[in-house]
Amino acid sequence: MTSTLKGITLKGSTELVAEFFSFGINSILYQRGIYPPEMFTRVTHYDMSLLLTTDSKLKNYLTNVVSQLKEWLFECTVQKLVLVITCLETNEVLERWQFDIECDKSAKESSAPREKSIKTIQDEIRSVIRQITATVTFLPLLETPCAFDLLVYTDKDLVVPEKWEESGPQIISQSEEVRLRSFTTSIHKVNSMVAYKRADSV
Amino acid sequence: MDLEDDTTVLTTLKSFNSFISHSEHPQSMSDHSAGNGNLQSQYKRSMEFLGAAERVQSKTRYLQLDQEKRQMELSHKRARFELERAASDSARNLEHEVDRNQDLLGQIKKLGEREAEAAKNLSVQVDANHALRKNLEGLNKKLEERDFKLNSANQTITSLRDEIREQKQKIQSKDSAISAQILENQELQEQLDLQHRKYQEISQLCQSLQATESSCSEHIIKIKELERRLVFQEQDIAIVKTIKLEAAKVPDLEKELKHLRDDNAFLRESRENCSLLKEEVEGLRRKLERMEKTREELVNMELEKERLVEKLQAWENLQQSTGLNIRKPDDLSREVIQIQQREIALKEQNYTLNSRVRSVECSQAELRTELSQQRSKTLEEQKKRETQDALVRRLQKRILLLTKERDGMRAILESYDSELAPTEYSPQLSKRLKEAEEMLQKTQNHNAEMEVQLSKAQEETGTLKLQLQAVELELESVKKQQASAGDRSSLLTKEEVSILRQKIEDLEAERQRMEEQNNILEMRLERHNLQGDYDPVKTRVLHLKMNPTTVAKQQRQQEVEALQEEVTLLRDLVRSLRDGGAMGHSQDESSLHSSSLGLSLPPSKEVLELRKQMERSELRNQRLKEVFQKKIQEFRTVCYVLTGYQIDITTESQYRLTSVYAEHMDDTLLFKKGSNGSMQLMETEFSKTLGEMVALHLHHQKSIPAFLSAVTLDLFSRQTTI
Repeated sequence: MTSTLKGITLKGSTELVAEFFSFGINSILYQRGIYPPEMFTRVTHYDMSLLLTTDSKLKNYLTNVVSQLKEWLFECTVQKLVLVITCLETNEVLERWQFDIECDKSAKESSAPREKSIKTIQDEIRSVIRQITATVTFLPLLETPCAFDLLVYTDKDLVVPEKWEESGPQIISQSEEVRLRSFTTSIHKVNSMVAYKRADSV
Repeated sequence: MDLEDDTTVLTTLKSFNSFISHSEHPQSMSDHSAGNGNLQSQYKRSMEFLGAAERVQSKTRYLQLDQEKRQMELSHKRARFELERAASDSARNLEHEVDRNQDLLGQIKKLGEREAEAAKNLSVQVDANHALRKNLEGLNKKLEERDFKLNSANQTITSLRDEIREQKQKIQSKDSAISAQILENQELQEQLDLQHRKYQEISQLCQSLQATESSCSEHIIKIKELERRLVFQEQDIAIVKTIKLEAAKVPDLEKELKHLRDDNAFLRESRENCSLLKEEVEGLRRKLERMEKTREELVNMELEKERLVEKLQAWENLQQSTGLNIRKPDDLSREVIQIQQREIALKEQNYTLNSRVRSVECSQAELRTELSQQRSKTLEEQKKRETQDALVRRLQKRILLLTKERDGMRAILESYDSELAPTEYSPQLSKRLKEAEEMLQKTQNHNAEMEVQLSKAQEETGTLKLQLQAVELELESVKKQQASAGDRSSLLTKEEVSILRQKIEDLEAERQRMEEQNNILEMRLERHNLQGDYDPVKTRVLHLKMNPTTVAKQQRQQEVEALQEEVTLLRDLVRSLRDGGAMGHSQDESSLHSSSLGLSLPPSKEVLELRKQMERSELRNQRLKEVFQKKIQEFRTVCYVLTGYQIDITTESQYRLTSVYAEHMDDTLLFKKGSNGSMQLMETEFSKTLGEMVALHLHHQKSIPAFLSAVTLDLFSRQTTI
């Protein structure tokens, strides 16, 4: 973390947001049972117990995505990050965890740190992750084997890097949406929400 | 060096010789002066002789040693080379000594001369002899000292000789060492030569060895090649053998092949026929399906047609009812568009009218305000005028008063004039007159001013009046305008206004509706956004090519493919089994085996269960067998013990009985079970001996147990008696 205790820079903000995504995605994968619980290990972060995957393939994939995301966050060209949960049997999208990212593009020009302490940002992030954990109570049970994918909504003028390709938005046909808490580093604002397939429409 | 050495030695010799000759010379000198001092000269001479003798001796010895040395030098040149320095040093010492000796000799000579002089003096001065004697004594002392010195020199010489001797010894020892070393050297040289020779031999041997090794390796390579060839040949032989065997089989195989080919051709034909038929059937079925579909479609089409006809009629009715030129929906839409356009035009009109009304109202309001202003102005002006009027009146009054005063003053003046016609009072009067005239003038001036003011005020009022009139005119015109406007609006525009108002209301309502719609759309957009929709113009969605979903999907696809393959294989298997069921069990089994081998299918649950059952039954069988065996054994032993006969089954329905008391192992009875169940005794070696019993018990009594008992008893009795 490059920023001091008092202010926050674009780089520090990028790091914080990327870290949040890493932990958030892991939490969702664990909570929604996309991967078996024995593939996760407990880690203490943000003053709370979090779960991180131990599977090397999954880890590799996540670090790949997060590092690329960091670049985009730094350039302020990313708009959304979406975690899509797809049913493998029917190829139907069952859940979409959407994180809208609002970038303050002025932070790119002026490198002056913003007045917001990391502690308060981490408090906000913690509450978001708590809410993600709490959503399990109302989300419908995933009964079929599922897989997940990460979509990144970026600006159109962006050059698509190698290994990446364009994808569809993977929209759920009949969905219920629930807005979750948001947090802001004063440079990046992250609004979280989850959309899931209506239970009676299945 | 040798030569030099020689020369040094020679020089020393020469010097020595010269010395000797010198020493001889003073002798002769002393001989000459013998007459002067016999004693002294004698003594001197004796001393000199002694020294000379010694010197001669030493010289001779030296010569001898020199000779020896030379000999040694000749014999040991190499040793001398090493000891040269020491020798030269010693020679140098020697030279020194010789030099000193020469010096001493010189001194002696001088002393001799002095002695001669002294003797001369003695001869001349006999008186001074004593003194001279004293001198002589001193000289003697000196001489003694010299002698002592000489002795010491001699001693040194002897010591030098010793040294020389020692050095000689050393030289000898060195020489011996050198010779030993030379010998050693020679030995070593010899050894070296030997070693050289050996080395040459060894190198030759090495070369030969290398040559042999190379030849050996070549040979080995050759051997390997040969071995390989041998192996090849063996393999070839084996191949040839197998080929021969196969060749032997070839005619049979050809026959089989022909047979199989024929079969194959037949089967192929039949298969083709079958497939053709199947295809035909399939084609027909499809045709049928298609036909059915087309029929359904036809029905649907008819229904649709009817509906369309109804619609058309409805449209036509609409045309009739409305009387408009509407026959098609296009016309309607056109009409609607026209209406909308008209509406738009009307709206525009409305807007323009509204704006006009507003502008008129605005101007009206402005005019009103202006009017009120003008009114207030006029009022002010009137007030001013009134004040001016009042002022004028006052001024006129004042003028009247002043004129009256003037008149009064004039009358007074006239009275004064009349009273004071003479010039008594003339200065006073003239003064007063003047004063009065001045006053008059002043008042007149004032009057004039007032008049000017008045005229000004009047002018002002005139202008104000004019203004007022203009304003009034304007007001009137405005009023007229207003009235006209009111008339027009009331007549023409009122309807329009009402229409426009209505339209405005309609438009307002529409606007609200639009707003609501907009809100709804915005909400929908928000929802879409929530659902993950995006603007494809601004945004693009990216994901990693190798994401977990695609990976999982691929895996799933592969699994499905594998399963499908398996399913098709299993289907084939099932079909073959079904087909094979008619052909026979053996083929079925074989095909099953082959297929199971070929497919290596995992045994199904049924098979596993069956196997388990089989195992269980086998186990049970085993146990039963064991139990049976045990029981039979028991039974047999019991029979053996009770009846005294061991019964064995040799072949089918033949029983061999061996008695407990049999004398030999071969003493057995053989019974055969007949077809009707009766037992017959067969002839054996043992039964031949029992003719009596056979006749009695079997032929006569016809009882086998009795016969057996008799045999037992007989044998028992035989054993016990013996």
